[in-house]
Amino acid sequence: MSAQQNAGTAGIGTAGPQAGASVTGFSIDPDEEAVVIVGSGAGGGTLAYELTAKGIPVVVLEAGPYLRNEDYVNNEWEAFNQMAWLDPRTTTGSWRIARDFPNLPAWIVKAVGGTTTHWSGATPRFKNHEFKARSTYGRIDGANLLDWPITLEEMAPYYDRAEKAMGSTHVHGRPPLPANNNYKVFANGAKEVGYKFYATGPYATNAEEYDGRPASIQDGFNFQGDKNKSKWSTLVRELPRAADTGLLDLRPESQAVQITHDANGRADAVLYLDRDGNLHRQAAKLVCVAGNSIETPRLLLLSGTPSFPDGLANSSGQVGRNYMRHLTGTVWGHFDKPVRMYRGETMAGVIADESIHDPDRGFSGGYYMETISLGPAFMASFVEPGGWGPDFAELLDRYLNTAGMWIVGEDMPQESNRVTLNTTVKDQHGLPVPNVHYDDHVNDLAMREHAYAAGQSVYEAVGAQTSHHTPPYPSTHNLGTARMSERPEDGVVDKWGRTHDVKNLFISDGSVFTTGAAANPTLTIVALAIRQAEYIAEQLWTGEV
Amino acid sequence: MAFPAKYPSLNAMEMTDEARQTLIRVLRVAFPHADFPDGPYERTADTLITAADEETWFRVALIQGLLSLDQLSDGDFCGLDDESALKVLRRVESTEFFGFVRRTAVLNLYDDAEVWETLGYEGPSFDKGGYINRGFDDLDWLPEPSIVYPEDEPLPELGEGAKAGAPAGGTARDHSTNQPSPQAADMGEVKK
Repeated sequence: MSAQQNAGTAGIGTAGPQAGASVTGFSIDPDEEAVVIVGSGAGGGTLAYELTAKGIPVVVLEAGPYLRNEDYVNNEWEAFNQMAWLDPRTTTGSWRIARDFPNLPAWIVKAVGGTTTHWSGATPRFKNHEFKARSTYGRIDGANLLDWPITLEEMAPYYDRAEKAMGSTHVHGRPPLPANNNYKVFANGAKEVGYKFYATGPYATNAEEYDGRPASIQDGFNFQGDKNKSKWSTLVRELPRAADTGLLDLRPESQAVQITHDANGRADAVLYLDRDGNLHRQAAKLVCVAGNSIETPRLLLLSGTPSFPDGLANSSGQVGRNYMRHLTGTVWGHFDKPVRMYRGETMAGVIADESIHDPDRGFSGGYYMETISLGPAFMASFVEPGGWGPDFAELLDRYLNTAGMWIVGEDMPQESNRVTLNTTVKDQHGLPVPNVHYDDHVNDLAMREHAYAAGQSVYEAVGAQTSHHTPPYPSTHNLGTARMSERPEDGVVDKWGRTHDVKNLFISDGSVFTTGAAANPTLTIVALAIRQAEYIAEQLWTGEV
Repeated sequence: MAFPAKYPSLNAMEMTDEARQTLIRVLRVAFPHADFPDGPYERTADTLITAADEETWFRVALIQGLLSLDQLSDGDFCGLDDESALKVLRRVESTEFFGFVRRTAVLNLYDDAEVWETLGYEGPSFDKGGYINRGFDDLDWLPEPSIVYPEDEPLPELGEGAKAGAPAGGTARDHSTNQPSPQAADMGEVKK
C-alpha cells in the first residue's frame, strides 16, 4: 500500500502550503487507485466517515476552502460571502428566481462540510407513502413521478443511525429544544387553528451537551455556520472523526472537473483543479459523487466521452433532469407587540399537520411549516425581491414585531426541470457553467397557495395585524438530478446509489432522490450515505468492484 | 441641476455635493423610514458613489439617472414633496440607474448597525453568549406552548381524500410505476 501516514499526527491540521493536497497529515499517492469522494457535505462527509471507520482509506475532494467554526461571523452578508457557492450559474424558466436572483439559483455552501454548515437542522423522516409517490398520487400530468426502489421499512434502521449520529432532538432520548420567541407565536397560532402536531423539533441541534458538543446558546446565527458547534454538520462530527482514523485524505479547494474511464467503461480517475487553477489527477478504483444536485450532474455532463456521449452514466437521459427544489415560501406575521424572532435558534419549530397527502386539498403531497428568522439585511433582500417604496419600508419597520415561518413541501419532478451545461458562459476556470431551468408545476402552485393561506391563518389566530408572503429563496434543497430507479431506463442510479451504467461510480447526495417528499432532505441524505457505505465496503471486500 | 460630475471627463470625475444630496434624497423617498437617522442614508449614498467610481457603466448610469430626475421634476428633484418625488421615482423604476440604486440600497442600507438599532435588532450575539440568558424566550404575551408532539398519536400520513381510494383512471399505463410510461406518446400534429 503506497498510502502514507505522516508523522503520526492524525487529525485535521491547518491548510498546508501545497495546493490541492491533503490537510489531514495522511495522503494517498495520486497514482494509487483510491476510493475518491467528491464533496464533503451531508453525503460525502458521512460516506468518508463511514468508510474510514471500516478501515477503508478515502480521498475527499472538496471544492471549497477549509473554514472552521471560529472563522464564522455573526453577520449575514459577510457570512454569505464567506460560505456560499458563488461561482457563476445561469437560470431559465418561469420560476421567480430567474428574474430576482438570475445567477444564484441555489443557496448552498462551498466549503469543507458543504451545506451542512449552513443548514437549519430540521430532521423529519420521509413517510411511507413518500417513497411511493407514483403509486400513491397516481398519474399527474407533466410530472415525472416514479416510486423509489426502496421503502421506509428498509430505511428505518438507517434513519435511526442517522438521527443518533446527528443528535436529533425529540428522538432516541434527546430532549427537545426549548421554545424561543418565534416558536411561541407559531405554536400558539397552530393550537388556535386546531393543529395538533407542533413541536420544537426534531432538529439536529443540541438542546443539551451531546456527542462531545455543547448545548445551543441560542445565538441566532445558525445559517451563518454556528460558531458554537451545537448544530450537527460533517465539519464538526464526521470529518474530524474520519481524520482520527488516519485514513482520510482531505483536499480542500480541489474542484473535480472530470471523471475519466478506462476502455471497459470503468471510472479510473478524477481530474480536479486546485486553488491556483492547476489540474491534478487522482487515480480511482471507485468514485462517489456528492457535489449537491447542481454540481453532481454538471460533473457527469462534463465527463462525456465517445463511450458516454450524453455524459457519464447518462444512457437513460435522466442526468440533470427532474431537478427538484421543494415547494417553499415564507409567511411573516406582524403583531402589535414585540416578537424578537432573531433571538434563539433560526429554525426550531415545526407544524406537521399539513405534511399529509390528501388530494381533497386540491394537490398531491404535503408540506411542513417551520419557524424561520432573518436579520434586517437578509429580510430586505428577500422579503419582497425587487421591492422598494413605502409598502416595502413598512415591512422592515415592523421587524421587531414580526414572526416568521418557512413552508417546505414536495414539488413535482418534471423532466424539463433540468440542469444543463451552458456552453456560452464560462466560470473562472473556463468551464461551462450549469444552467438551472425550473418551471413551477400546477401542483406546486396550488400547494404554495394553500400553504400561504394556512400559514397566515396561524398568525391571524394569535392576533397578526398584517402578514406578508415571501416567494421562495434561492434553493437550499436541491434534489433529483441523478435519480434512483429500479430500471436503468428510468433513472441514473440503482437502490444503492450505484450508477446503472458505470459499476464503480456512485452518487451519494440528494441528487439520487427519486421524488422529494415534504421532509427537509439532509437526514435522508445522511441515512442513504450510511447505507451506501455498508454496500460499498461489502463490494470492496468481496472484490465486486 | 448642474452637470453632476465636477469634471467633464467621465473617467476622472468626482460626484458633486449636490449630486450626493440628490442621491440621499432618492434613498429617503425610495426607502422611507421615519425613524432612521441620516447616517445610514448618507453612508449608502457614499457606497453608491464609490461603486460608480469603480464601474464605468454604473457611473454613466448614475449621472444620466440624476440628470433625468431633474428633467422629470422641472429642474429640481430635491424640491419636490415626498409624494411627488415618489411619482418621479416610479417613472424611472425600470431604468438601469434606479436598479443600481435599489440593489445597492437593499444590500447596504439594512446592513447598518444604526438601522439595526432603530429596527430593534441586536446584531452579533455569539460574543455575548448568545441569547440563552438574554431573552430568547422572553415573549410573555402568549401562553407557554407544548414543545412536543402529542404522545398518544402517530404523525398523520394520509388524509381522508387519499383513503377514499386509488386515484381515478384505470388504464394499463396508470398502473405503471413509471410516468410517462415508455409506450405513452401524446399525439400532436402530424406533418408529412
